[in-house]
Amino acid sequence: MAERVEVRENVLKENDRIAGELRRALAGRGTLCLNLISSPGAGKTSILEGTLEALKHTPLRVAVLTGDIQTERDADRLKRYGFPALQITTGGTCHLDAGMVQRSMARLPAGDLDILFVENVGNLVCPASYDLGEDAKVVVLSVAEGDDKPLKYPGIFRRARLMLLHKIDLLPHTRFDRDAAVADARRVNPAIEVVETSCVAEPGLGAWTRWIEQRLHEKRQADRPARD
Amino acid sequence: MHELSIAQSIADGAREHASQNGGRRVLRIGVRVGEISGVAVEALQFCFEMTVKDTDLDGAALDLEPVPVRYRCAACGHEFHPVEFLADCPACGAIGASMVAGDELGMSFLELE
Repeated sequence: MAERVEVRENVLKENDRIAGELRRALAGRGTLCLNLISSPGAGKTSILEGTLEALKHTPLRVAVLTGDIQTERDADRLKRYGFPALQITTGGTCHLDAGMVQRSMARLPAGDLDILFVENVGNLVCPASYDLGEDAKVVVLSVAEGDDKPLKYPGIFRRARLMLLHKIDLLPHTRFDRDAAVADARRVNPAIEVVETSCVAEPGLGAWTRWIEQRLHEKRQADRPARD
Repeated sequence: MHELSIAQSIADGAREHASQNGGRRVLRIGVRVGEISGVAVEALQFCFEMTVKDTDLDGAALDLEPVPVRYRCAACGHEFHPVEFLADCPACGAIGASMVAGDELGMSFLELE
């Protein structure tokens, strides 16, 4: 006779288990991990290039893992700044999972690491479901896209700590309603923080790199009791 | 389209529970799919059938139970199903509701032979 067994567990528990291991390993090294998510073409790789260029002039040790379905192009672009950058080629999978990040972490040079950037596969849907052990998900919305993205893809805006409103210099040339996009993002996620960025004009990436430094400082404060 | 890897995770979870229960055959798997979980139920159903075909789980039914999003207002405690996932409370108008259901993707039961 058939028997019904009640189960209460996350379907992605294996992913979550590995993400938990990653989170502990990163906390042990004092590493801040940021997971960048956007639609294709929003500007994740360019933002990272500009960020690495800026961080090159600081004592911070940084590494990048960049996910794409095919090609090593992004890692090739990101290696130019003197920090380790590894490509994760998913071969068709539309998101990174914690196992892929863990395997790639093992290929990074050992030693101290202050910041690990994970550039997810360009996609606003699937990457939202996977915990990669990051401290924060960062969603990039460029003003060349529709201002209704926060309402169309609420899952990622709900889970992101920060929204970068990117290519903001293009605003005068588009019909993108900045106030509506920010208001909608906040209605989906009242706690979401918003920073405006541009890789080619004012306001640049300064507010974003300051945000990163604040998160790193916060993380160091929070991890200190655990490491003592 | 991450439903194939999710189908694989469901199958792995079901096998683990079946073996903990004396290796009995799995007849049915219940999974709660939150409205905001980002999973397309038709695609998941299709991927599940594909992934268990010709395995020990071949023939096991997948019961997908959609879970609507529910918010609870931080100001007045009212619970509601939001329009377009917006956190504005229909009772008091405050913004700042938190989600109490709708982003889960969880196994809820197994039916074993």
